[in-house]
Amino acid sequence: MTKSKKEIIGIRSVSKIYNLGDTVVKALDNVSLSIFENDFISIMGPSGSGKSTLMNIIGCLDVPTNGSYKFNNEKISEMKDSQLADIRNQKIGFVFQTFNLLPKLNALQNVEVPLVYSNLKRLKRTEKAKEALNIVGLSDRINHKPNELSGGQRQRVAIARALVNKPSIILADEPTGNLDSKSGTDILNFFDDLHKAGNTLIIVTHEQSVAKRAKRRIEIFDGKITLDE
Amino acid sequence: MNRIINYLIDVVRGVLFYFSQTKLRTALTLLGITVGVSSIIAIMTVLATFEKSTDQVVADVRTNVFYITRENPIEVSFGNNNKWARNKPKITWSEYEQLKRSLKLTKNMSAVVSEEPSDRTFSVGKKEFKSRLQSFWAADGDMLSLYKYDIVDGRNIQNIDIQNRSRVAIIGSAIKKELFPFVNPVGKEIKIDNIPFEIIALTDEKGEIAGQSMDSMVGIPISTYLKYFGGKWNRTDLQLVLESDSVENIDNATDEAIGVFRAIRKIPPGQPNNFYIATNDQLMDTFGEFTSYLKTFIGLITGISLLVAGIGIANIMLVSLNERIKEIGIRKALGARRSDIFMQFLIEAILISILGGLVGIVLGLSFGNIVALFLEQDPVIPFEWVFYSLQICASMGIIFGLYPAIRASRLNPIDSMRYD
Ligand SMILES: Nc1ncnc2c1ncn2[C@@H]1O[C@H](COP(=O)(O)OP(=O)(O)OP(=O)(O)O)[C@@H](O)[C@H]1O
Ligand SMILES: [Mg+2]
Repeated sequence: MTKSKKEIIGIRSVSKIYNLGDTVVKALDNVSLSIFENDFISIMGPSGSGKSTLMNIIGCLDVPTNGSYKFNNEKISEMKDSQLADIRNQKIGFVFQTFNLLPKLNALQNVEVPLVYSNLKRLKRTEKAKEALNIVGLSDRINHKPNELSGGQRQRVAIARALVNKPSIILADEPTGNLDSKSGTDILNFFDDLHKAGNTLIIVTHEQSVAKRAKRRIEIFDGKITLDE
Repeated sequence: MNRIINYLIDVVRGVLFYFSQTKLRTALTLLGITVGVSSIIAIMTVLATFEKSTDQVVADVRTNVFYITRENPIEVSFGNNNKWARNKPKITWSEYEQLKRSLKLTKNMSAVVSEEPSDRTFSVGKKEFKSRLQSFWAADGDMLSLYKYDIVDGRNIQNIDIQNRSRVAIIGSAIKKELFPFVNPVGKEIKIDNIPFEIIALTDEKGEIAGQSMDSMVGIPISTYLKYFGGKWNRTDLQLVLESDSVENIDNATDEAIGVFRAIRKIPPGQPNNFYIATNDQLMDTFGEFTSYLKTFIGLITGISLLVAGIGIANIMLVSLNERIKEIGIRKALGARRSDIFMQFLIEAILISILGGLVGIVLGLSFGNIVALFLEQDPVIPFEWVFYSLQICASMGIIFGLYPAIRASRLNPIDSMRYD
């Protein structure tokens, strides 16, 4: 499966437990997972099984209740806020399940946000953001606010935003859920290209057709990994 | 650094968008600031008017004049009347005459009785003059020039009137208008508390000074007053008005007057004066003290107005709290550091509140000065308070704008993105 590739994400016995008064939800239950450079992983599982929770932890957006997480062999729990911020900004591109676009900003400005935090000159910034929007086929919608875009278009803005800083790791939580088969296929083809270019991809999906493109398939059930091949 | 320039652009965009999206909320907030700032301007206009009229009082009295009275007249009229002052002896006619004989450095000296306001009745035939603000005084001929009245028709009180205790009277223009609307009053008869007097002079129109009508007055010779209105024991309390020969000499003249008056009253050395002596300058200082109380009070009102304005800004910043916490979560997820969030929201808070404050100030200045125009006052711009307003708006914006930002920047991105 994996040769002597470098482990970039190392998750050991990680749990995420939500304590809601009388009920305790184990969103992740003692999960261990190694992700290597240039992996192309699909994650499947029923709704509520903990897929997004796992993605958020991998993306350094959330912290586990128990267990350890090493990013490039460094413990996340020992990193400063600014180091985590830089990882989120430079190393990881995250496509959120709920898009999370800023309602005040138009498509172009939304895509520019990660660049604001990466010391880039303004003109360069606009140029790169336009390029990313072009890739997802939204060149003609750059001045639209999120509420002036369709669900699929919003999803594509979210994808463009995740790609704009050319991160080596892309985490996508159901990136094609709102897309018709044509634009869905376009995006997946682009993900294939990214994989060929050496990037690491982790995609949460409900669709077998999407999962088939991945080189490694993971299934989650009730917060536990039930399949990894 | 590029990062900071990036924020600035981001922030200005955000702020402009914010104002365009929340027009009603913004308008209401600006209304608050406008009310605050307008009331400051309005109050400042009133204060400016008041100060102008006090300047008028100062300009209308002469600086080589000083007074000897039982107690400080300004403190008395503002109710600061302590027991000690009430126990002081009245100034009598004989003390006046002794003083007048002994003083060398005093050019003129008059004994004055002034009822201000007076409850005497001024009447002609069946017609009565009655006003809350009327005044009745008794003195010698120097009185008119001391208060800068000019005689329009007739003659001043003369020594012969004082000697003979003549029943003669000088009337102000408001009295004439009311009691002699169509005829020249000089030579006619006026009754003061039913005692007939011959009018010897009519004075020019002086208008109001500090709310007091200068024209509703009747004046008679001091000796006549003592005879007809002085009471059984003739213990009327006199005010002495003295005039040194020059402004330079006023201190010496006052010292001399104190010395002589103490000798007359046989006050042993070391005991305090049992009378009050003050120059016009000193009286004005007391007056200034009163205006400074007024200013403190006005400052308080102004402070409250500014607080209202500040609360408006605070409202703008707080209402969007949920929205902002979510935005902060998203920005953090995309790579913003804690310091980025802090800087960005600080700039935004300052910008929104200063912008809001500025609009409020412009509206407030316009509104306040329109009011000033209606009151026929010169327009004013209280720069000091404009500055304070901006400062208050900015600090309110910073406090209430940064609070959610700091709170959210400490959350992990997922928790703040979920916030609502
Ligand atoms: N903030 C939270 N508080 C309490 N419980 C939570 C919270 N976030 C997630 N959960 C619970 O954790 C479990 C896993 O949630 P998660 O979002 O990871 O599911 P998912 O696999 O992504 O589902 P879906 O396919 O519907 O997106 C769910 O049962 C959910 O109710
Ligand atoms: Mg999910």
